Amino acid sequence: MITLIAAHQLRMLRRERLFLAILIALLLMTALAGFIGWSSHNTIVKVYEESSAMLASEGKPAPPDPFALKPPLSFLSNMTIYIMLIGALLAIIVGHLAIASDRASGSTRLIFARPVRRSTWFIGKLAGVGSALAIVLAASYVLSIISLVIVNDSLPTAEEFGRLALFYLVSLSYMLLFALVGITAALIVHGRSLALLVALGVWMIVTFMVPQFTSGLRPTASLNPIVNPVDTSQRFFDVTAHFHSVSISELYRDLSAAILQSAPAQSDSVGSSEIVPISAILIVLVLLMAVLVNRLDLSEQASHE
Amino acid sequence: MSSATMMTLAGHDYRSAARNRVLAALLVTLLTVTTVSVLIAAFDYQTKLDAYREYRKAAEVAGIQNVAPLQIKPLQLMRPVVEYIEFVGGVIAIALGYLSVARERGNRTLWLLRTRPVSTGELTFGPALGALGLIATLVFSTAGIGVVSIGIWGHDWLNGEELLRLAIWCVASIVYMGIFYCLGAALTAISRVLANGLVAALVVWLVVVLIIPQIGDTMDPDNQLPGGLFKSLNLDKSHETRVLAKFSTYERLRNDLEETSFAKQYERFSFAILEIKVKDKFRDTSIGYVIDATRRNIEWLALYAVVMAGFLYWNVRRSTAHPRGEDA
Repeated sequence: MITLIAAHQLRMLRRERLFLAILIALLLMTALAGFIGWSSHNTIVKVYEESSAMLASEGKPAPPDPFALKPPLSFLSNMTIYIMLIGALLAIIVGHLAIASDRASGSTRLIFARPVRRSTWFIGKLAGVGSALAIVLAASYVLSIISLVIVNDSLPTAEEFGRLALFYLVSLSYMLLFALVGITAALIVHGRSLALLVALGVWMIVTFMVPQFTSGLRPTASLNPIVNPVDTSQRFFDVTAHFHSVSISELYRDLSAAILQSAPAQSDSVGSSEIVPISAILIVLVLLMAVLVNRLDLSEQASHE
Repeated sequence: MSSATMMTLAGHDYRSAARNRVLAALLVTLLTVTTVSVLIAAFDYQTKLDAYREYRKAAEVAGIQNVAPLQIKPLQLMRPVVEYIEFVGGVIAIALGYLSVARERGNRTLWLLRTRPVSTGELTFGPALGALGLIATLVFSTAGIGVVSIGIWGHDWLNGEELLRLAIWCVASIVYMGIFYCLGAALTAISRVLANGLVAALVVWLVVVLIIPQIGDTMDPDNQLPGGLFKSLNLDKSHETRVLAKFSTYERLRNDLEETSFAKQYERFSFAILEIKVKDKFRDTSIGYVIDATRRNIEWLALYAVVMAGFLYWNVRRSTAHPRGEDA
């Protein structure tokens, strides 16, 4: 039964044009991420060469090449941002559709008229959403490898394959978080669009507002995978810095930077300080969702808005 | 178009939008976050201003006459507000546009309205006027909070010219959010399923506000290293300009890409009029000069506004006079 519900979920998503549109956008951006990384890198190397020549002509010593030891995977650092922007939005829509479509058509009444337990339905929905996101990221993984081969002109090493797989695994967890936000909002808020707006509000708070208050990171700075150090000497930030461990988008960005080796200052090892909070929030959301499904009014009529 | 009918529709839309709980939550979130951002910046500004005054006094006592002016300007504190209006304000405006159409369709009052002598223009621009009223309330409230925060906590009240700059920025912000309102309302008006119109508008928002500027931003050579490429190479502004002159095609492509986004046009104009960037060419220039120099940004914003208003009018006219899709 769980497989049946999950398979139905996947079929339903395949028919959703908006889901397909955002999926295409994500895959397109994955392909572009490698190209943009390569193009920017090439230009910067030339900028460095020009700068060195200019300084040499003035009799000044050339500074060391800041990109000399840049790892090949760092070309894909933009993917972190695309997952935070397009990936999270896609996940919210997948989660939202999983619940809202059934509620809007009134088919939950029909489903539970059959011998289906709420827990079975709940696990089936989760499996469907998880599978959909895993398929999306698997396609993205393949595209990333193709981009890397084209850009670096060589196959990635076994370690690079592993690192990239780990990055997409972390991205799956991050996207699952937002899928659960979409599901939770659809279960709590009556009205499809309002539920979507609430989920989107949560996404904006997590992505743009929380990092500003915990690290002084401005909203536009959140769009760049390379984060400039911010002067947070004020007492306000001494207090809010303690909440850094709940700033999910920053944790995801730090973790991704460490895996893809895109930030020189970032520790190369993957730390529990990033994984534990993300996992904890995932568990809390799943539990909250279980409670909400248990309280779901199964007698409700079809409601479009 | 009768102005009385327009005002009636506008008033109705303003009141209905203000009563919506989700929209109210979004508005309160935006106001709270901008207030806190300005407050944090104001405290920081106060510290720097006090330190500068101390330094200046000490320099004067020591007989030093030419003390460099303070690099920070009070309107710079509005930067987080500009960014939040650009990001969150866009979503709020889309939500306003969506709700404006969804409310009438959901309550099935749209078809009732069409039985009355209300023209398409009135049906389009009446609610739009109400939404713009709500947007104006939000923008001016945010600006007011900014002025008070800078004055009380930053210990520096804005002068007449700075207030005028802020007022011009408010108008640009209303136009910017108005474009998103039209987008949200137009796409909802032509969608059979209301939620699809909302999602389509949000996808456009994602591309215009986040994706295009993000691509442009990461293509900027100076954004590739923490602290900036040129700083890491120990190059000053004149060297930077000379080096970048050799990459004019790349820079032009990057700039053209960014300019396709009206969010970027709004951001550039706002940063210029509010003198937000320290090393900007618009620092210490007159309002007239800024408006003249950013004419291209203003023209693009105005063009987008006219096109989106036309798009909304066309879609409202095109929408059927009878319930269809999920409304039927």
